[in-house]
Formats: sequence, C-alpha cells, structure tokens
Amino acid sequence: MSSKQIKQDQDTALWDKYREKTYSRRGGWIIGQGVFNCGYNMMNDLVGEVSYMQVLILNAIGRLPERRLADWVEAIYICLSWPDPRIWCNQIGALNGTMKTSVVSATVAGVLAADSRGYGSKPLIDGVTFIQNAVIDFNKGLSVEQIVSNACTKYGGKPSITGYARPLAKGDERIEAMEYVTKKLGFSIGSHRKLAYQIEAELQDKFSEDMNINGYVSAFLSDHDLSPMEIYQIFAIVVNSGVTACYMDAYDRPAGAFSPLQCDDIEYMGKAAREL
Amino acid sequence: MVKETAKVTRRDDQYAQKISTKIWHEQPSEQNPYIAQQSRCHGYDLVELAKGCSYVEVLYLLFRSELPTKENAEIFEQLLILLINPGPRHPATRSAIVAGVGKTDPVHILPIALSTLGGDFQGAGEVEPAVRFLRKNVKKSPKEVAFQLIEESTKPTEGDWSIAPGVGSHYGGVDLMAKQFAQQMSSLSGCGKLLAWGNELTSELHGQQVGWLKTGVAAAVLADLGFLPFACAALYQLISAPGLLAHGLEYCKKPMTSYPFPEDKYYVIETD
Repeated sequence: MSSKQIKQDQDTALWDKYREKTYSRRGGWIIGQGVFNCGYNMMNDLVGEVSYMQVLILNAIGRLPERRLADWVEAIYICLSWPDPRIWCNQIGALNGTMKTSVVSATVAGVLAADSRGYGSKPLIDGVTFIQNAVIDFNKGLSVEQIVSNACTKYGGKPSITGYARPLAKGDERIEAMEYVTKKLGFSIGSHRKLAYQIEAELQDKFSEDMNINGYVSAFLSDHDLSPMEIYQIFAIVVNSGVTACYMDAYDRPAGAFSPLQCDDIEYMGKAAREL
Repeated sequence: MVKETAKVTRRDDQYAQKISTKIWHEQPSEQNPYIAQQSRCHGYDLVELAKGCSYVEVLYLLFRSELPTKENAEIFEQLLILLINPGPRHPATRSAIVAGVGKTDPVHILPIALSTLGGDFQGAGEVEPAVRFLRKNVKKSPKEVAFQLIEESTKPTEGDWSIAPGVGSHYGGVDLMAKQFAQQMSSLSGCGKLLAWGNELTSELHGQQVGWLKTGVAAAVLADLGFLPFACAALYQLISAPGLLAHGLEYCKKPMTSYPFPEDKYYVIETD
C-alpha cells in the first residue's frame, strides 16, 4: 500500500515539511554561487582573512569571534592536549597505534573518550555553570565563603567543585601560562575571573586546593558572554592533537609493543574454575 | 618575557598496579607468558561454552556472571531478535549507509553508526533514564503515574512528546512495532515486573497518542533481566549493531550516486 492510500488521522506536518526539503540555518554550498557560512561567503570573507580558530568557533556557536579571542582559545587548545599516553584519551590513541588502526580512527576515538564526566570537554559545562551561578549569587549578596560552603554541602562538605582541584596533581601550571597569554592579548579581568580567584583563595585557605584550568577557562569565557553549552561546543575536539601524537608514537614502533601485558598481569578476581 | 613555572605537586592518590577483572581468566602457556592456553568466562572454559551453550546464553553470562535460566534466555534471545535492526530509516542506520556509500573504511561503519545510536532522542542515551524511571515508579499505581505524567508533562507544540523516558510518541503517534515487541515479550514466562508495569502504564496513556518506545521496551526487559542501568544503554547499542552494519555494508559496493544528494532547490539556507 502506498503512503497516499493510507487513511491518516495523525498530524505529521512537521515531518512532512522536513521530508520535503533539507533546511540549514548555517549555510551550504550553492554550486556556481559559492559556499556560505552564517552569512559569510567563505572564499571571499573568511579564507585568508580570519584564522582557522575563528572559523572553528563560528561553526561551533554560529558567531564569528574577534581574532584575539580565537587566538586565546588556540592557546588554551595547546594547554589542554599534550603527548603523554598515560592520559586516558591519549592512551586510546596509543592503543590504536599499536593495533595499526588509521590515524583518523585513533584520533576520533581519543576525542570521543574525552567526552567524559571525569575529564576533557564535558566538565566545562559544570565548570561554566558553577561560576556563572556563583556570580549571580555574589551579586545578590552571598559572600565567597557562603558560595564555597553551599557548593561543598552538595558533596558532603568536600571541595568537589568543578573547576577547582585536579586529578594526579595539586596546582596547575597551565593557568600561569594562560595568564601570560591573557595579558599579552590585552584582556582585562572580568567579574567571573575575579570571583574565580576569590573562590580559589577561599579553597586554598580551607582545603589547600587550587583552581584548575577548567575553572580558569570557564571564568574567562564566561566574561565573554558564552554559555556553558557554547563553551562545550568550542572544545569538542580539544584533545585531538595529543591523541594523534600518542598514536603516532605507538604506530611507529613494532605492532603490539605499546604496553603489552602477560596473562598474569591481569588480576583475576572472579569465580573459580567450574564445569558446565 | 620569561614565564615562571607554577608550583605543581603530585597527589598521593593510589592507583592500581594491575588491571583486574571478574569476567575473564586467561591461563598462560608454560612456554610464553603472553600466550593464553585457556580462557575462562566467569569460571567456565570458553571452548566448553562453545560446545555446550548458545551464543545468547554466553552473552548473558558475560554480562551477568551466571548462565541464564531457560526463561531468561528465551526473553533475552527474543529481545536480541526484535531489536536486531533499527531499520533503514533510522538516523543511525542512515549514518551507516552514508559511511558505506561514501567509501568509508568498512571497519569504521559500526563505530560511526553506534555513535548516532547513542543519542538521547529515542536512542541508547534514553535507555538508562528509562530504566531509572521504571524502577522508581514500579511500586506505584500505573494509573496514578499516568495521570501525574499527563498533568506535569507539557506536550510540545511540534515534534514528538517524550512523556517519560522510554515512553512517548513516535512521529506523532504510537510506535506500533514497540507495542508489538512489548506484547510479544509479555507473553513469555520470563516476563518481568518492569515490562508488566510498563504495559499497564502505556495502556493508561493510550488516549494521549503515546506509548512504548523501543528504548523503553529494551530498558524494561534488560532491567528485568538484572542488567544495570548504564549497562542497559550500552547493550541497546550492541543489540542493534547487526542491522546497522548490514545496511552500511550493503552500500559499500554501490556508487556514490546510489544515495540521494538533494538538488539545490530542495536545500534551503534560512536567513534571519
């Protein structure tokens, strides 16, 4: 029975509309006319005129940022991905390398791994949400001490605030590097970054914990009116270059030579041998 | 300008020295400690499992640590069959087809399609919340929960209505295949309490043009079988993988022109 013969009594107008045509609010390639992106003609307006990172941000959020903000994001991209295969996403790159997968497979697998609640880009959502809410609370009259106390209450009194403290180490060398970039590019301090440092001081005093790079990025980009989801979108592939590097390191060695394990290197904790 | 190096110190966190597992035990060969001469799954010799058990039984054992009862094996196997293929219209299958026709390396087809299937909209991302919803409400009256859902959930002005995780409309109506799946598995002796409760709930909601979604049925059956909520979501991907792969591979040998590329008149660039 063809669809025209179906006796239809349900409203399918939405799907009928989108079945008929493909719609885009971003742009596309009109053959013979050009390639368009958020109102820009890509070949005339963007190529050779703006940086790759500006276009990456344009594609992520639909707005073209000023050059120096894109340069700042490029610098933080360098901070957030380095070639150490002990880092979780990088290790996936190395394991792919030892399995002789393609570089693309390895890199996207590592990027996907970093879509994690524990590290990588996803915690930025919580980090940005925290500092943006904190500024709202601060402006309503809450003290820094109260903001920290309220946040800690959610985790049984522990300082588990996204953007502060980090796994493996105390302190974060990347903040100092980025402060250098921030000043070099001429950015002044905004209300979110100012409060982030005040929160850090409170945490240092009470728990000996520091701000981490998530907290710094969250505060800085909040000062530039970006939402939690927009910041997550901008950082979708942030770990890619370190993953590629770790893949290549393992790929260039003999197959199977990255972190090989003997049978007894695995601790078996399960049921004893049994018969069917 | 020389940058100072910030003080960074290592935490005293204790990381494991070894990977550990309760699932798999490999017995090394006496000649080479890297080569296994026997593998056991939750204690059973793998070769003996191959000789004495079905694939479905071993799959259940792998995730649940014990072989299934006859009733559990039957309902699990039927679920694997019913959800084996989301069908060629499903976005995940379309991703597989696009990868296939685009001459993507065939070993990438499944990871690509499964990433699409991981979505929150009627995909694997909906399964874990569906399990939690069913578990949270199973002791309540389905009629009262249905009433509460209708009262508290706002039907969107356009698009499908997800009245609860795993329960909603499908292209504006009841997903008839999901309804059939639930009916079929409810007829089996291994039918669990979550599936039975969900059947009552969807009956109460019938007048709202919503019902079981496939994600909800999968959530109910898998949770009834004892799989953990987060495992149910990933298993949903595993169960659907054969169909995704089959459609992707079907297109591997076809020319790129065999898949639609809409003409410009059917592509609308919207401007403010």
